[in-house]
Amino acid sequence: MGTAELIWNGVAAFLVLCIYSFLYKDNPFYKFAEHLVVGVSAGYFAMILYYNAFLPKLIHPLLAGQWWYIIPGILGLLMWARFSRKYQWLSRPTLGFVIGSGAGVAIPLYLQNYVIRQVHATMLPVGFTSWPLITNLLIIIMVFCSLTYFYFSKQHKGAFGAAATFGIWTLMIGFGAGFGMTVMGRVALLAERVVFLRDYFAELLSALF
Amino acid sequence: MIIFPCSKAPRYRPFLRVVFLLICILLIDPSWSLAQEDLTESWFNPNRVNMLVFLVFFFGVIIYFIRRAKKGKSLFIRRIAGLDAIEEAVGRATEMGRPVLFVPGIEDVNQIQTVAAMIILGNVAKMVAGYDIPLFVPICRPFVVPVAEERVKEGYASAGRPDAYNRDNVRYISDEQFAYAAGVQGIMLRDKPMANLLFGSFFAESLMLAETGFLTGAIQVAGTANIHQLPFFVVACDYTIIGEELFATSAYLSKEPKLLGSLKGSDLAKAVIMGILALGAILVSFGVIEFKNWFFIQ
Amino acid sequence: MRREIPIAICFLFGISFILEYFIPHEGVLSIFETIRQWAIIVIAFAYVLGIANLLRINYHVVQRKQRDWPYKIILMASLFFMITVGIVFDILGVGLGGIGEGTIFGWVYYHAQYPLQSTMFALLAFFIASAAFRAFRIRTFQASLLAVTALFVMIGRVPVGESLWAGFPDFTEWIMNVPQLAGKRAIMIGAALGAISTALKVLTGLERTYLGGE
Repeated sequence: MGTAELIWNGVAAFLVLCIYSFLYKDNPFYKFAEHLVVGVSAGYFAMILYYNAFLPKLIHPLLAGQWWYIIPGILGLLMWARFSRKYQWLSRPTLGFVIGSGAGVAIPLYLQNYVIRQVHATMLPVGFTSWPLITNLLIIIMVFCSLTYFYFSKQHKGAFGAAATFGIWTLMIGFGAGFGMTVMGRVALLAERVVFLRDYFAELLSALF
Repeated sequence: MIIFPCSKAPRYRPFLRVVFLLICILLIDPSWSLAQEDLTESWFNPNRVNMLVFLVFFFGVIIYFIRRAKKGKSLFIRRIAGLDAIEEAVGRATEMGRPVLFVPGIEDVNQIQTVAAMIILGNVAKMVAGYDIPLFVPICRPFVVPVAEERVKEGYASAGRPDAYNRDNVRYISDEQFAYAAGVQGIMLRDKPMANLLFGSFFAESLMLAETGFLTGAIQVAGTANIHQLPFFVVACDYTIIGEELFATSAYLSKEPKLLGSLKGSDLAKAVIMGILALGAILVSFGVIEFKNWFFIQ
Repeated sequence: MRREIPIAICFLFGISFILEYFIPHEGVLSIFETIRQWAIIVIAFAYVLGIANLLRINYHVVQRKQRDWPYKIILMASLFFMITVGIVFDILGVGLGGIGEGTIFGWVYYHAQYPLQSTMFALLAFFIASAAFRAFRIRTFQASLLAVTALFVMIGRVPVGESLWAGFPDFTEWIMNVPQLAGKRAIMIGAALGAISTALKVLTGLERTYLGGE
């Protein structure tokens, strides 16, 4: 590792330790790192949007004669009307465009992936003659009861309430499983950072001595 | 809208409507689902007729119940403990003289969960407006800033306190997920809000925010439809709004008939789906797979 | 008209994107792909609003010398620094300007932003440990279900689980493939119905909260 790389990695190691100091309590080193990461990332995204969105998707097409790209340009400029209290209302068409487009894209997507595909996948053969058939029956019963929990326009009482209760138990088991699955992944992230610090300090010590 | 005149007993009409709809779905010509070779010159994709049927049905049901609600038909909505807790949390923050923090997730305004969060924000702003405590709203996406400002301003205005609205309390932090989490953690540690309301779309930063909020002793109510983050909210927060309950929040808090009507429509759609599931499972168990195949999407 | 026109635009574009899903015609799809690019462009313009908000609020803190005001200077300075080396240096043709490897921007990204982000991400290991500790303080039956399942899944996915009981990995798989899957499906279906209902209310103007007041 060259001197420049050693210095730059030293900066990185210092910032890593500043963030970890949060685990003790809020302190000036953590505040410094926190404000630095907010400022640097805000600037980073400004650059990404400039080079990956503004230039290639607006300026270059306009310069190439694709005049219809003036429409998003105008819609974008209308957003800047928010800077004026008197003309803030001019930004509403742009808000309508973005929110309407998002809603329009979401509707078929959600219906396809989260409703119909799930319904298709849950139509399983059921029975009592083998363990897979019993398992399928359990899945369907659990899906039913969990859906019952999300029923809002009926009081959860009697048999309906019992189904809803079984449904929330199913959800809790699912949440526990999800939690248990994630623990390993998060510990692996910590291991990666610890390895970085270990490698850096080993290099630093070998460079100094 | 579907009218089923046969039953004289009103309580059986919804069930009979479900059966009627199922029969209609079964009678739709399955040959429409046959894949075609080249669709690039076609004006309709026949492989998606099942989607069209569902969409038309669902839209029809929602609009029907909204119109019914507008005519004054009262609609029941069951108690959702987490949503009742929002008012309790705001009340506790007022007692302690500490701010309320509303975190609307990290996705942009074109995502439906963020739209739902903005709707809830307006209701919360109306609650907070009556008390002299700040409402902090840290934002992850710049496009959400004007929407959040409008919602908070409108909430304060509808509570008769437009003077109490402070524009500086709606703050853009950063587009980057963990920079945003760091910024929100900073607000939690230094401004020490008593009530943390986390509604919207969250990812890995959910646990960070919830745990930091717990460390500061705040009451936390969280709601998301992101399945993988729900376990962390359930563990770390006092109340968790799960999945569809997030979208029901605006109806629950405002008790507006139109919104309650759409909730009723959603419930009917769920009942139909349960009926379809049951029928599909039974048919597949007897080796009849055509019904199941109708729901296949390429 | 100040509210009606945006609602009409919202409805028009929303319905168009719904119809696009059913129309496989190449020409139509390319038009909608262009409109999707428009949304990205508009969001890029909106970024200026975010930066202006950030600068305004932090400038007020510095001006009034409120709590932590020196750190706000660091925040604003780092923002201006990134914009300067990213755009200004590139426009002026100053060496090492622009973005990408070998530029000042790239160095700051790899040696400051990336380590900061990764370390924030890595803090999750500590947070999940403290959350797990609290989760295992069982108070209700539902909490006990969550805690016990989490424990079984954690043990079942490491070698020590199999050495305790040979069937542990299979049992963990069963938990993942049956109750976890069932719960996940129900949440997905319910949430999707709620999302579609909300989207429909937005498109039809029943939910016009994004417009604000008059």
